[in-house]
Amino acid sequence: MHSCNRIMATVQEKLITPIAGGASEGPRNKVTVVGVGQVGMACAISILLRELPDELALVDVVEDRLKGEMMDLQHGSLFLKTPKIVADKDYTVTAGSRIVIVTAGVRQQEGESRLNLVQRNVNIFKHIIPQIVKHSPNCILVVVSNPVDIMTYVTWKLSGLPKHRVIGSGCNLDSARFRYLMAEKLSVHPTSFHGWILGEHGDSSVPVWSGANVAGVNLQTLNPDIGTDQDKEGWKETHKMVVDSAYEVIKLKGYTNWAIGMSVADLTESLTKNLSRIHPVSTMVKGMYGINEDVYLSLPCVLNNSGVSSVINMTLNAEEVAKLKKSADTLWGIQKDLKDL
Amino acid sequence: MATVKEQLIEHVMKDEASIPRSKVTVVGVGAVGMACAVSILTKELTDELALVDVIEDKLKGEMMDLQHGGLFLRTPKIVADKDYSCTANSKLVVVTAGARQQEGESRLNLVQRNVNIFKFIIPNIVKYSPNCIILVVSNPVDILTYVAWKLSGFPRNRVIGSGCNLDSARFRYLMGEKLNLHPSSCHGWVIGEHGDSSVPVWSGVNVAGVSLKNLNPDMGTDKDKENWKAVHKQVVESAYEVIKLKGYTSWAIGMSVADLVETILKNLRKVHPVSTMVQGMHGVKDEVFLSVPCVLSSSGLSDVVKMTLKSDEEEQLRKSADTLWGIQKELKL
Repeated sequence: MHSCNRIMATVQEKLITPIAGGASEGPRNKVTVVGVGQVGMACAISILLRELPDELALVDVVEDRLKGEMMDLQHGSLFLKTPKIVADKDYTVTAGSRIVIVTAGVRQQEGESRLNLVQRNVNIFKHIIPQIVKHSPNCILVVVSNPVDIMTYVTWKLSGLPKHRVIGSGCNLDSARFRYLMAEKLSVHPTSFHGWILGEHGDSSVPVWSGANVAGVNLQTLNPDIGTDQDKEGWKETHKMVVDSAYEVIKLKGYTNWAIGMSVADLTESLTKNLSRIHPVSTMVKGMYGINEDVYLSLPCVLNNSGVSSVINMTLNAEEVAKLKKSADTLWGIQKDLKDL
Repeated sequence: MATVKEQLIEHVMKDEASIPRSKVTVVGVGAVGMACAVSILTKELTDELALVDVIEDKLKGEMMDLQHGGLFLRTPKIVADKDYSCTANSKLVVVTAGARQQEGESRLNLVQRNVNIFKFIIPNIVKYSPNCIILVVSNPVDILTYVAWKLSGFPRNRVIGSGCNLDSARFRYLMGEKLNLHPSSCHGWVIGEHGDSSVPVWSGVNVAGVSLKNLNPDMGTDKDKENWKAVHKQVVESAYEVIKLKGYTSWAIGMSVADLVETILKNLRKVHPVSTMVQGMHGVKDEVFLSVPCVLSSSGLSDVVKMTLKSDEEEQLRKSADTLWGIQKELKL
């Protein structure tokens, strides 16, 4: 007969003999997403499906929704290669992150410009950024919240991190949209059309027509009027479509999320895999192109596991440089009035 | 003056209509439909994706949002329309359309609302893709797979319900958490009705072929000190819990559907617990659809794995079958 004092081994104990003693090491490629709205979750699902992190943390203030989103992702674990998915209102859950993606904040209403969102989002960031840095002092911060160039500046100021570790998603999405739309017109895949949109993410972004090419064949050489008002083919319209894209999608479905999510996952891949790929992202441009203030604008940046390792010196014409300078002035005009940074 | 395109590119072939080889249509662009779409796109399973819905603005917005990610994808054509002609030549049509469970509502409650929607959808799918495979996700999935089968006139290998693919995935996740292992190394099958009366087949639960029930004969009973039965209970309650917290579920079902799509389009012959016509199996006498382990391939559902079930497990299946048939026989199709 069994003794009442005998302890029954659990299934786990009978099944498994431990070999490696001690606690397992911490994660090597932890990614945190701050904000579980549509954009945050689109970033999260894209990053998970691309099998980039070994741990994913979600943070938000709305606790029910946060827990629900975490559970919904966990339930798909069978199909993923990310063994740990956690979530909490408390930032301790983010500790040890290599990349922290900030999507928190209010979003554009229909017809609202990105610049209007500023002060609302600055106040939210004053709460978020110090906590991120406290728990992951060595992380790279990727800012997505709009207006992204200003919010990246705000993040840099609030974090105290060196500038190469604070990146704004910037014109990564604008350039992706540009390449998609141009490629459609030329009947090729977007990856085979090369074109860069730089500067401010939004209404005054700058399409660098001098660089637009397919297989190294420069389009401006084929059509010197490209991108101007004289252009009989009206290529300038394509850039306008890029600028209008977000407003159009917002008008149709209320918000945008899938494209931005995929573009952020693309950046995350370069950062976590140390690829040294070049992306048009928002970086601190003081000292370049005659810009003398602390502003963030998108330039072609080499991304690797230290963040922005270097910036490509684009050959821009006088008009393009003037536009960058004008954006810088507009952004600084807003930034200098922000309180308590 | 030659255009930029004419100067840049010389067209060297005679144009012929190109027919997609692995086209997938997703019907319904709600949270579930879009989660399926994004999972399918990111896993690079298809050369063309079509979206259909009745709300035109949202449909167009979702299509544009996906197209704008084109640089990051390997699906060169993404289309959307209210009109089903955009779905033509699909190999696989994923149906997510219909009303969803409110907080606390059971899946069975949704029936008649969703049957009426299917009466419009299914004939349209068939018209434009007469050789496709239909994968039903809308709830109550077992009944609606039956409905889709009846309305389509398709042979039973080409109408599949997502069924317990997700329940089993949730079970394996929870099992993995309990044993500190990855879910893919934890094997367990939840079959029968996708919903409150699903059946966990404890005899098959194993890790590396080691049967857990042999290690713990009380597993799955009320006597079990480790309370493994609670794992299955958690699976059943999962959906309700997530709905209560975030309003709906999307990501897990989206990923589980992409998993099925992959097996079918790549002709993998993997075994999945999905909903199929089980009349004549396990003592089921009526034309009902329940989840059993099925071999999936490019022909759809070609084979069923015959599980050795205990008498109480078979009894549960028959009870589900009776419940489902009770509802189905009242439906006007």
